[in-house]
Amino acid sequence: MNAKTAMPEIGVDAETQRRVEQFLYREARLLDNERWDDWLALMAEDIHYWMPTMENRRRADKNGTYAVDRGALYNDNLLDLTRRVTRFKQPTAWAEDPATRHAHVVAGIEVYQGEAPGEFIVHSTFVNYRSRVEKDNDLLVGRREDVLRADGESFRLARRKIIITQSVLMAKNLNTFL
Amino acid sequence: MCNTQGDTPIRLKRRPIAQSIENLDQLMNLEKGRMSRDLFWDRDIYEQELERIFARCWLFVGHESQIPKAGDYVSTYLGEDNVLIVRQKDGSVKGFLNTCPHRGNKVCFADLGNARQFVCNYHGWAFGIDGALKGMHASETYEAAGMDKSEHGLHPVAHVDSYRGLIFATLDPEAPSLAEYLGDMRYYLDAIFDMDEGGTEFIGGCVKSVIQCNWKYASENFVGDILHAGWTHDSGAKAMVGGPVAEVHKTPEQSYHVNFNGHGWEFNQDIVGNCATLGEKELLKYLYVLQPKVAERLGELRSRMIGAISSCTLFPNTSFLPGQNTFRTWHPRGPGQIELHTWTFVNKKAPQEIKDKWRKGTMMTFSPSGVFEMDDGEKWEYSTRSNAGFVTRQQDLYLGLGHDTRVENTDLPGNVFQGQINEANQRAFYQRWLDLMKADSWKTVPQRDLPKMKEGV
Repeated sequence: MNAKTAMPEIGVDAETQRRVEQFLYREARLLDNERWDDWLALMAEDIHYWMPTMENRRRADKNGTYAVDRGALYNDNLLDLTRRVTRFKQPTAWAEDPATRHAHVVAGIEVYQGEAPGEFIVHSTFVNYRSRVEKDNDLLVGRREDVLRADGESFRLARRKIIITQSVLMAKNLNTFL
Repeated sequence: MCNTQGDTPIRLKRRPIAQSIENLDQLMNLEKGRMSRDLFWDRDIYEQELERIFARCWLFVGHESQIPKAGDYVSTYLGEDNVLIVRQKDGSVKGFLNTCPHRGNKVCFADLGNARQFVCNYHGWAFGIDGALKGMHASETYEAAGMDKSEHGLHPVAHVDSYRGLIFATLDPEAPSLAEYLGDMRYYLDAIFDMDEGGTEFIGGCVKSVIQCNWKYASENFVGDILHAGWTHDSGAKAMVGGPVAEVHKTPEQSYHVNFNGHGWEFNQDIVGNCATLGEKELLKYLYVLQPKVAERLGELRSRMIGAISSCTLFPNTSFLPGQNTFRTWHPRGPGQIELHTWTFVNKKAPQEIKDKWRKGTMMTFSPSGVFEMDDGEKWEYSTRSNAGFVTRQQDLYLGLGHDTRVENTDLPGNVFQGQINEANQRAFYQRWLDLMKADSWKTVPQRDLPKMKEGV
């Protein structure tokens, strides 16, 4: 895996931790329920939503497993995310009709103070299970690193990095957000 | 099975070809546009495809730009055979089966990188980038056994060659030259891979996924099936450009199917139609500025193909989309599964921000999360899977569009058909498939297509 930038991990109070957890659980529920517009409303204007693809390289190879200028399944700004949502909502989105059933399981939520005031660095793990028609079942597991930004009583998602375990995606498509 | 040539062991052995499956001709009647579903389901047919198609044809293995320096390598597949494609010190490219001749383990577990040598992690056999066995752990024990290291190098592929930056390899020593294999399709390949001085490069790494479909459904889609786009990809088009896919079936006079040796390209001449689906105006501007220069280099017709509504498959399993700039190989994994490897290609001399927009564009449209590709996989999976039905699989499929559309008097190379809404290329693809599946050697593969281009051009 790529070297981590050493950011001091300064914890937050229990109430902030609880509110961040609620935010992520609610986000997962919005995705499970295909409430795409409500989900989009959680994004900051400057969102960078990134899910690189994994390359198998020798440990000695300084290029690392992934990089921002290499392959990605998501490398999105708000317009890109909006376009994906637009497709989900079309009656001709054939791979969504009948509906895909989603379960987004979020766990291991750690919250630290971010670089800017009102920003938080949030680590979490996820399990995503999708089932479609009779027996199409796809499992994706990984880890996320988010930057949440305080927005009134809630938050907006400003950055998300999604690291999955698979280098060959074991599915015909990726018709969800993670 | 220890065939030797004099005292020198052959380093790429091939068994005599297995007897061809009987009555293959009955699998299709292309004149009537009829074909059997057994092609997409039958395990015996698949095993013969590995031998007669994938272990014989020239298959795409990489782009020159992926391995610029000596020791640079990529790991890829010829059918289900894992191979390493390695840049040599003299600038040439060699290919080897990725398997240790000692006990058979993989010698390289990385997808790509730079190597001074490949060392098997089982008993430490170490191979130079030229494939020669250099040494191993406890080498004196092999010396005591009288083993001659020069006889135990990595198994080389039969031939490696490239065209306009695209590297191909074949496992068949008897294969025709790459130039002959691609034939007149090279004329059209130049429209994309030689549109700009400096040629093309691959950027952004490789995105890989698995689709539970027969490999031919993917290949035949890109060889000629623009028809599906207006229906299958309506939602993707609405997401990216806010409206439906262009109705190309209404303007057949401006578009073509062309094919040669089973390779096929469907295209119109709208310059930017494919590119427009990426929703990036800067890319359209780039192509419009480039087009007159391409016209000077390659003529008007090819200059209008540079980002047009179009798709191409190089027989058997490599495809690309001009304009969207996705390049891909559908590696077979049994009759019911493929492993899809995709890359983004760009003109080497294009500005960096243009290259970045294309890298993002392929991701947004033709990747597993892409708004177009998302709706392809399911069709191919269920076109394959429905044939599990014992009686279902005995029902014929239809492939009859575009009879009587052949353009006879044309200077264009290859077999030319009017109208890109057509199934002429698909029929030519399956004719080539049938020819190869029936022929016991390259010598008996019928030469149906006579080249207009000279071989060495």
